[in-house]
Amino acid sequence: MKATAALATALPEGQAPRSPRWRPALRQTLIILAPFALFAIFLLANGVNPLLLYRAMFVSTFGDLYGFGEVLIKATPFVLTGLAAALPARAGMINVGGEGQLAIGALVSTGFAVFLLGGLPSWLGIPLMLLAGAVGGALWAGVVALLKVKGNLNETITSLLLNYVAAFTVGLFVHGLLKDPESFNWPFSPEINWTLRLPIIDGTRLHVGFVIAIVLALAVWYVLGRTRLGFRIRVLGGNRLAAERAGMNVSRMQLWVLIAAGALAGIAGMIEIAGIEGRLRPSTGVNYGYLGFLAAWMAWNKPLRLLLTAFVLGMISVAGNSLEIGSGLPSSSVHILMALVLFFLLGSGAGRKVKT
Amino acid sequence: MNDSERDNSTAGREGTAASAAPCLLETRGLTKRFGALVASRAIDLQVRAGEIHAILGENGAGKSTLMKMLYGVYVPDEGELRMDGELAVLHPPAKARARGIGMVFQDFRLVPAMTVLDNIALSSSEGGWRMRRKALHRRILDVSAKYGLSVDPEAEVWQLDLGQRQRLEIVKVLLAHGTRIIIFDEPTSVLVPQEVVAFLEMLRRLRADGYGILLITHKIDEVMACADRATVLRSGAVTYAATREEGGLERESLIRAMMGDKELRAVVKARRGPGTEGVAAVIEAGAEASDVANGGEAPGRTRADHGSAALSPIGKTMLAVKGGLIRGNHGEVVLRELELELPRGAITGVAGISGNGQRELAETLFGLRELAGGTLTVGGRRLRGGVRAFMDAGVSFVSEDPLKESVIPGFSILEHMVLDGLAPQPKGTGIDWKAARTELDASEAAAALALASAERRADTLSGGNVQRMVLTRALLRRPDILIISYPSRGLDIGTTRTIQQQLVALAEQGTAVLLFSEDLGELFKLSDRLVVLAGQRLLGPYAPEDTDVRQIGERMLKGESA
Repeated sequence: MKATAALATALPEGQAPRSPRWRPALRQTLIILAPFALFAIFLLANGVNPLLLYRAMFVSTFGDLYGFGEVLIKATPFVLTGLAAALPARAGMINVGGEGQLAIGALVSTGFAVFLLGGLPSWLGIPLMLLAGAVGGALWAGVVALLKVKGNLNETITSLLLNYVAAFTVGLFVHGLLKDPESFNWPFSPEINWTLRLPIIDGTRLHVGFVIAIVLALAVWYVLGRTRLGFRIRVLGGNRLAAERAGMNVSRMQLWVLIAAGALAGIAGMIEIAGIEGRLRPSTGVNYGYLGFLAAWMAWNKPLRLLLTAFVLGMISVAGNSLEIGSGLPSSSVHILMALVLFFLLGSGAGRKVKT
Repeated sequence: MNDSERDNSTAGREGTAASAAPCLLETRGLTKRFGALVASRAIDLQVRAGEIHAILGENGAGKSTLMKMLYGVYVPDEGELRMDGELAVLHPPAKARARGIGMVFQDFRLVPAMTVLDNIALSSSEGGWRMRRKALHRRILDVSAKYGLSVDPEAEVWQLDLGQRQRLEIVKVLLAHGTRIIIFDEPTSVLVPQEVVAFLEMLRRLRADGYGILLITHKIDEVMACADRATVLRSGAVTYAATREEGGLERESLIRAMMGDKELRAVVKARRGPGTEGVAAVIEAGAEASDVANGGEAPGRTRADHGSAALSPIGKTMLAVKGGLIRGNHGEVVLRELELELPRGAITGVAGISGNGQRELAETLFGLRELAGGTLTVGGRRLRGGVRAFMDAGVSFVSEDPLKESVIPGFSILEHMVLDGLAPQPKGTGIDWKAARTELDASEAAAALALASAERRADTLSGGNVQRMVLTRALLRRPDILIISYPSRGLDIGTTRTIQQQLVALAEQGTAVLLFSEDLGELFKLSDRLVVLAGQRLLGPYAPEDTDVRQIGERMLKGESA
C-alpha cells in the first residue's frame, strides 16, 4: 500500500491525491469503533451502561495477569480453528468444519489419554496426545477432502454437515465407551492423568497451549509466505485453472491442505482437554470452530492477523462473563458484538478491494 | 466504397462544419482518469445517423474506456455527452440503452443453456410482464431476414458457434426498443473471411437504414472497406480524425496515427526447406492487417518461393496423434480420426471456425484433457498422465483465455513467471526471488515483448500486457513443443509483429509449434504447414504455398469436399 502511494505521488503528472493522509486512518478507527457504538445502543436499551461495561472489559483484560491469561485461554482455540479455516481459504477452499474437527480431535486425544497414555511421563505423553488430537482432526477433515477430491462434493457443505455428525459421535462415546464409571451417569469421560495436563503459568489458569497456537500460526504464516509449497498453495487459491496449467496436481494439494487444516483444529481439541477441562464433555469446545472461522475471516485469512483477531474475540468472550455477572444479560449477547465487528470489517474490505 | 449512400459532401472534422446527417451523439472534451492514469483525454467525437464511424487504436489506446463511457459503464470525469444536441447522462448502461445506444460486446453476454429466443426475451422488456413468444419469434425472423443475419430463434445458444452468437447479439440490440446507435467492439475477431464479408455487408445495410454505427477495430482493411469516418486514438487522446470524403482514410496515415513513432519491423521468416537455407522472406508492413476482408485474395506474402508443393518435412516428428478421438465437456465427439504430427522446427497453423475443437485439441495436447481414443506420442514415447507429464516431456501451452486461465489475482508478474516460465531457484525452503528477477531481466524474450515491470500485479494489467506476460513465459521455457492459441488476439500491430518474430525464431531453434489463430493472414504468414478443423475432422496438412485464403476458408466452412 505504502509503495503504491509513494509511486503515485512520484509520478510527474500525478493528480492531487483525492483524500488526505489522515483519511484512511480515520476510516480504520471508525470501522473498529462503530460496532462498539452500535452495541452500546443495544446495551442502553437493556439498561446497561456501555461505558462501564467497556471499561470493565478493558480492565479485566489488561488490568491483571489473571484476566489477561483468561483472554489468552479463550483466544487459543480460536487461533487454531481460525488457522483451520484460513489455510484452506488460501488454497481456494472454505472449511467450515473446524467445529467437528476440533470435537473429533478432542475425542481421539481423550481416548488415547484415558486408555493408553496414562502411565507415560509428561515429556512423552503430552506430545503423543497432541499427535492423537491432530490425527483425529485430520481424519475428520480427510472425509471432507476425499468427498471433495473423489466425489466432487462441495467442501463447504460437507464440512458443515459433518460438524453435526461429529457432535453426535462425541455424544455417543461419552455416553458409552468413554463414559466415566464414577460419573453417576453424567455424560463425560474419566479425567485424564495429571501427567498429561499442560503446564500452567503461576497465578493464572493459562496453560502452554497458547504458545503452541502461536507457534503453529507462525508456522502456517511461514509456509504460506516463504516456501515453495506455500507459493503453490496461494497459486491454487488464486486461480485453480492457472494452477492446473502450471502442472500442479490440484486434487492432491486440496486433499493435503484440508487434512492439515483438520489436524490444526484437532490440536485445538487436544489443548482444550489437556489444558482446561481434563475430561471430554459433550460441551467441550462447542462453537469454537465457528468463532475461529469468524476470526479467520476478520483477519482476511492472514495467519499473523489472525492472532490479533482471535485475541479480540477472546476479549469479547471474556467480557460476556462480566456482562452476565454485572447486568444479568446472557453472556451470549456478546455474539451480537462479534457479528457487528465482522460486518464492519467485511464491509471495509469490500471497499478496499474496489479501490486497488 | 459506398460514398453514394451519403448525400452530403461537406462533412468536416469533428466540431467544425455542419453535416446534413443528424448528429445523434456528440462528445466534447471527454476525459476519464484512473488514478494518475488518463485513460481518455479530451475526446471530441460525433456519431451521425447513417454513418459508420471507425475507432482505431492500439491496445491500451483508450478505445474500451471511451466506449464504456458512451455505453454508460463509466461516468466521465470531465467533458460533456450530448444526444440530439442536448446534454445527456448515460450512466448507468440502462440509461444509455433507454436512449437508444446498443453495444455488441466482444465477450458475448448470453446464457448458453437457453434458446436464442429466451436470450432475446431476457433483454427486451417489451410487452410488460407478459412474454409474447410468438410475436417475438416473428420479430426475430423479420430482423434477421432484413439484415441477412440468419438467426434460428429455437436453437440453443451453447450449440452456436461464435459467429452465430455474434449475430444473435446483433439481433438483440436491433430488437431493443429505440436503438439508434450501435457500438461494435472488435466484431470481426471471431469471424472467418466469408463471414467478415457478410458482416460488412450487414453494416452497410444498417447504415442505409439510418443507424449510427461505431466500429471499434484495429483491422485497417475493414475501415478501408466500409467506414465513412475514422478516429484514431493513441494514449487516450485523438491523434487523427478524418472522413472518407476528405480523402482522409488512407492506410498509411491511419497506421502512422495508430503507431506514433514506433517503427514497424517486418516479420522475417527464414525458410529452411531443402535447398533454401538462409533464404529470408520478408512480409511487408502493409499486408499486416489480414487481407481477407477484401474478399479473400491471398495475403501479400512475398515469401521466398522454394519450388513447388511438397510439404518438405522439416524435422523429425516431435509429437504425433494417431487415430485420436477427442470428446468435449458433455461427452460429445469433438474430433474423430485425428491424425496430427508436429515436426521439429516447424510452425503448424490451425485454421478453423471457432468452436470446431480448437480448445479441446489444445487441451488434449497439453494433458488437460484425456484422449478418448487413439494414441499420443511425444518423441516417440506414448504419453499419458496429466499436465505435469506433458510439461516434463517439453510441451508448453499458451491458453486461449489467459485472463481467466493464467492470471492469479494479487500475484506479480515475477510470481507468474516463477510459477511456470522460470525454473524457481530453491533457497532453503523458499524461492530465490532475486535470482528469478535477475534471470527475467536478462531474458531476451521479456525485452523483446516489452514486458511490464516485474513487480506489477498481473490482475491490473491490460489484456495486451497479460498476453505479453504469458507469451514471455512460454518463450522463457524454451519448450520442445509449443501449443499456442491466438497469440495476437486483441494485440496491436507492433506487438503482434514482435510476437510473430519470436515464434518464428523459436521454430528456427527447433521448437515444434502448433499455432491456433483466427487470423488467416497470420496463419499464412507464419505457418510451414496448415491444418483445418472442420466438422469433427482435422484436414490437411496443406502447404501454404499450394493453397490460398479462399480455399482454406471454404474448407473451414464445408470440410474437405470444397
